[in-house]
Amino acid sequence: MIRQPISRNWRIGLGVASMLTLALLYTLLSSSRQAAAKRDQQQVAGKKLQELQTERTLVESRRTQAAELEDDDQRQRQLSRIANDERRISDDIAKFTRLSDAPDKEDLTVPSWKMLYRQGLLRSCTPQGAFQRKEVWITTDFEATIVRLVTALVLGIGASLTLGILMGCFDPLDAFFTPPFALLSKVPATAVLPIFFVLIQINFKLYIAIIVFGMLPSLAQSISATVRKDVPEELIFKAYTLGASQCELIWEVIFKQVLPRVLDAARLQIGPALVLLVAAEWMVAGEGIGYRLRLFYQRTDMTVVFVYVFILGVLGLATDYALIWTRRKLCPWFGD
Amino acid sequence: MSSPKVRDIVLECRNLSHWFGANKVLKDVNLQVGRGQIVALVGPSGCGKSTLLRAILGTHPPRGGEVLMDGVAYRSPARHRGIVYQRYSLFPFLTAEENVAFGLKLDQTSLVYRSFNYFKWRKLRAAHIEQAGRFLDRVGLSAAKGHYPAELSGGMCQRVAIAQALIMRPKLLLLDEPFGALDEATRESLQLMLLQLYEENLQAKKRGEPAPHTILIVTHELNEAIYVSNRVLGLSQYHAGGRDGATIVYDKPAPIYQPNEPKDVSDFIEQKEELLKAVFSPNDIKHHAEFVSFWDDHDRHFATNAF
Repeated sequence: MIRQPISRNWRIGLGVASMLTLALLYTLLSSSRQAAAKRDQQQVAGKKLQELQTERTLVESRRTQAAELEDDDQRQRQLSRIANDERRISDDIAKFTRLSDAPDKEDLTVPSWKMLYRQGLLRSCTPQGAFQRKEVWITTDFEATIVRLVTALVLGIGASLTLGILMGCFDPLDAFFTPPFALLSKVPATAVLPIFFVLIQINFKLYIAIIVFGMLPSLAQSISATVRKDVPEELIFKAYTLGASQCELIWEVIFKQVLPRVLDAARLQIGPALVLLVAAEWMVAGEGIGYRLRLFYQRTDMTVVFVYVFILGVLGLATDYALIWTRRKLCPWFGD
Repeated sequence: MSSPKVRDIVLECRNLSHWFGANKVLKDVNLQVGRGQIVALVGPSGCGKSTLLRAILGTHPPRGGEVLMDGVAYRSPARHRGIVYQRYSLFPFLTAEENVAFGLKLDQTSLVYRSFNYFKWRKLRAAHIEQAGRFLDRVGLSAAKGHYPAELSGGMCQRVAIAQALIMRPKLLLLDEPFGALDEATRESLQLMLLQLYEENLQAKKRGEPAPHTILIVTHELNEAIYVSNRVLGLSQYHAGGRDGATIVYDKPAPIYQPNEPKDVSDFIEQKEELLKAVFSPNDIKHHAEFVSFWDDHDRHFATNAF
């Protein structure tokens, strides 16, 4: 039946099952990729061995010919050259036999769990690089990105909230800001990146400007709509009859009334803001998550990439829950 | 004791008219409400009751004529005029207690004061909350103090809303169909609350003090109008000049009940019939002043009249 509730245990069980399925699918994919890589290596080694065998027969026939030479000097020279060739060939045969018996090639596009741990996680968490610039990638990158993101979110949400509430309260402001905001909110912020790169020097301010620009038009509009829709005029009139001034009305009634919805709207803005930031970092940054992802993409080495992606997911989830928790604490009247 | 005035007028509407484009809603509404009166305003739906109420509240000033409170014309809402709406009557983000104390906070302190005198404000706040608690006790909601409006029933919300308005001691309290969405039993208990307020007026008069509560209640329920009020007003477009808009076509005293007195609906029948004829019947076209006699009666029998 539709909407038939299930028990808590069932819910948890199904959740765990889906996560395990995801892990299993990854394992299958990566092991098949690893196996394919090894198979390729074996095939190449087998071909090489065949070539080496032919070469060896050729060398042996050359030896019989050389043995028949009459000039001592010439014979000696030829024989020592042939001995060199034979040594090289037998070394190669040994090497390719080893490879064809036990191939060691690793596929970096879908790394195995072990590779993810060793080449991904461990490598990101231990100091890397030449002695001049030893750094722990995970801390440098995440610190850079998170500081940029949080600063921009605080500024962006603060500005959108102020503008949105004022637009929702005063028609002239609404009439003035709505046309540019309506236009700008339809422009994909990533498309404006080149303009920002050209206009602003590549530094901290650039990322802040990009994110604020990306969120302000749409967030301010949605807050202004919330103010108009979710604050019934009865409450505004009533506040006036209780002696509220204009400022008190905005702060004590309108702000408090829209706060939970604003928190939700802000929560939904974090995703797009992060997309923009990673894209910008990918293109121009010298540190940060986007920068590291680009480096490893260029080497088609996904070990670190998968680790970063996973950490991003966990961080996103944690932020989401933190904001929901904040809303419940700040606005207990709002319910869930 | 001040010498009794023949008419102690709190609210006056002078030739109040209002229209939306070609739609003429109110035409020359003339109305005086005396201190201590509980006035019920009835009228057919769409006659402009809400428009009149909004004009009196000050949120939507009339296009023609003026509204005066204690002789002073006004065109905006202010703390002397309380309102209780049918819906959205409380601030959802405040508890019942905070809702009642909200007016005290807004009226007695400013945003600047609250921001820069935190400790003084905290002390005052405690006093406000205590006062609000006493008001809630008075309307029988001691248990609901810490609850948010979403956790209260409709009747409880309206009680809190009335307490919220009364704590401001407004010169005039407007009730806009306050009990419209409530069940019969809750409705009746709230009607009793209004009778108690009238009782307080009478006691104040006995002590020689000005009556504390002046109430204008808009309702579509005729029994309620006659029961809770001491004066019934009818606003209607069904009169000789009705094409220009609605005006007051009925204004007569209503019987006065004690809160503990049993309600006898049969008492209402005569007045109800009269109201239906004068206010609600489109076929009964009369001069608008035909049933308007409250102040004549009042002035004639001034000595025996309560308010």
